Amino acid sequence: MAVLSTLTPEQATARRARREGRRRILRHMALLAWTGFIVFPVYWMVMTSFKDSGEWVTWPPNWFPRDPTLLNYSQIFAFAHLDASQARQATEQSFTIWKGLGDAVLVCTTASFAALLLGTFLAYSISRFNVGGKYFRHTILTIRMIPPIVIAISILMYYAIIIPYVTSALFGFRLKLFDTYIGLILIYTVTTLPFVIWMMLTFIDEVPYTLEHAARMMGAGRMTVIWKIVLPLVASGMVVTFLFVFILNWAEFLLALTLTHPEVTTLTVLLNKFQSASEGRLYGPQAAIGTMITIPVVILGMLIQNHLVKGFSFGTIRK
Amino acid sequence: MARIQIKDLVKTFGAYNAVSGINMEIKDGEFMIMVGPSGCGKTTTLNMISGLETPTSGHIIIGNTVVNDLEPGERGLGMVFQDLALFPHMTVYENIAFGLRIKKEPRAEIDRRVTAAAEALHIKSLLPKLPRQCSGGESQRVALARTIVTNPAVFLMDEPLSSLDAKLRVDMRTELKRLHERLKATFVYVTHDQAEAMTMADSIVVMSKGKIEQLGTPLAIYNAPATQFVAGFFGTPTMNFLEGIVEANGRGRRFKAPGIDQPLPDSLPTGIAGKKITLGVRSEHVLVDASAPHAGTVLITEPLGDTTLVHFEYGQGKTLVAKVPPTTTLGPGAMLNFHFAPQACHLFDAAGGARLN
Ligand SMILES: Nc1ncnc2c1ncn2[C@@H]1O[C@H](COP(=O)(O)OP(=O)(O)OP(=O)(O)O)[C@@H](O)[C@H]1O
Ligand SMILES: [Mg+2]
Repeated sequence: MAVLSTLTPEQATARRARREGRRRILRHMALLAWTGFIVFPVYWMVMTSFKDSGEWVTWPPNWFPRDPTLLNYSQIFAFAHLDASQARQATEQSFTIWKGLGDAVLVCTTASFAALLLGTFLAYSISRFNVGGKYFRHTILTIRMIPPIVIAISILMYYAIIIPYVTSALFGFRLKLFDTYIGLILIYTVTTLPFVIWMMLTFIDEVPYTLEHAARMMGAGRMTVIWKIVLPLVASGMVVTFLFVFILNWAEFLLALTLTHPEVTTLTVLLNKFQSASEGRLYGPQAAIGTMITIPVVILGMLIQNHLVKGFSFGTIRK
Repeated sequence: MARIQIKDLVKTFGAYNAVSGINMEIKDGEFMIMVGPSGCGKTTTLNMISGLETPTSGHIIIGNTVVNDLEPGERGLGMVFQDLALFPHMTVYENIAFGLRIKKEPRAEIDRRVTAAAEALHIKSLLPKLPRQCSGGESQRVALARTIVTNPAVFLMDEPLSSLDAKLRVDMRTELKRLHERLKATFVYVTHDQAEAMTMADSIVVMSKGKIEQLGTPLAIYNAPATQFVAGFFGTPTMNFLEGIVEANGRGRRFKAPGIDQPLPDSLPTGIAGKKITLGVRSEHVLVDASAPHAGTVLITEPLGDTTLVHFEYGQGKTLVAKVPPTTTLGPGAMLNFHFAPQACHLFDAAGGARLN
């Protein structure tokens, strides 16, 4: 039998403190390394967005722009054709951010709203009437486990060939979904719907059904109950869900790339188009756009964080 | 008029019979309490009256109308829920005004009636608050105010006091009774607390396993329980039950059990001689008396202040409880003699539990 060496309370406390301290240092070192790994590309992107073309690719790398310039930003935010001072000779295609920004805002906002609306009502019926059976809520989420690449090509075939052909054969007009706002909004709504349903389920399940019973006893119809009782109680949940889905759509690339060209251009697709024949990739303007895309995501992310805390622990619903 | 008739009401959930064929009538203005153990179908019955559940079969008639196909809001009922179900995102004022707003009452009328209801329940100062800023008792009053403001002819209440602490619960009982007297509405009240039922009800429905065991006034149910189940449900401490057989000889019929030989009243139906029966006797009818024929040994005593309960053992390890004056000197291990007040013995069929006398 092992004999424990004697240890006074003070010694024990000191030993525990030493051990704790060592652990904390290790933990923080690991976290710092990981943070650096994650943040470095973002840092590099922001720095590059302030560099002129000569500094984009240098060896050894410049950690800070030697000669900071706003040229990249004035280029992407230009309204008219660039004048001689701004137009790099190489930038024969003078892209600006406006078209991409407009399309992205239109598509993402509309699709997120549509998904939120549909998903909230679907979640309500799943929560209250067990629509789809007991395991439907789990089935819904597994739909999202299919990688987009698997469906991208089949959707493309439907959008570009099958649906236009069938509609023109049956109804005499071609329903064009490829490279249209409707097409992209539709696919974004469908792909984010499972997330909306899943998230809204957690919020709607929290609303005690006796509240609805009470309202119905007082003569409220089903729609009034949803409008006056359920929706106000899940409002902060809806905000969170909307922002979450909006970020998903905002950052979506593969489906947008596959299902659009040349008319509809979201920001992620635009980013990829930013290159010139003679100079190759235009890293500066790309980095500037990348930075501009990231800013709303960061802001929305922080908003979500606040709302998540609010939504889950604000205690609007007392049990 | 708000008489409620229930005819052959059945509710099944899948293969499970939650309510299996009940018939009853609740008179206009009556305070009717449904009582029974957990899961016996009280809430289900109440929800069928309110319209929140659809009956599998049977009819519910309020006044002269079969209401089976009416929406909950069209039946002229008010309901207080077990968890109160106050709307957490609305002020107390808005909670009380909700039903009136649904009915599109004019603004001034709403204001007048909300204020009146709040005054009646002494919660006027709470009107601008949110439900989560109210205490348990205050929330209870808000829930009541929200129900009375629409002037329903029938109040349905599903264990409305169960979330309150013991003291408040007793206070609210009195208040509810007073409310009933003032409003002269029909009250249908669900509880699993027999004391609550005894103190408040005009009449009581005792339910068990989806069926009505007995329907009657509190005293009728206490004094002449129709089944062994009802007898055991009402009264504290629980009624004593002894199993034995009926023996008949020249001197009349007697109840025989180990250590017990009790003469039975003549009013019993004939033909029970030799039958196994259960004799029930409340603790206050177990009389401790030095000259009594049966002997026992005290196990423990429970002084309650106004009385003392004596748990004692008689024949073959069976125990009984007697209620004695608090001045008793009996203690654990003491010997005592006892007998049963003959007119206070309840006799039940040992097999079915039905009352025999
Ligand atoms: N929606 C439902 N689906 C399936 N079974 C149900 C449903 N509602 C109630 N039951 C069952 O019906 C039975 C009666 O339920 P009910 O709620 O009426 O009981 P109760 O008498 O109100 O009990 P308690 O005192 O616990 O509230 C219970 O066994 C319950 O499990
Ligand atoms: Mg219940």
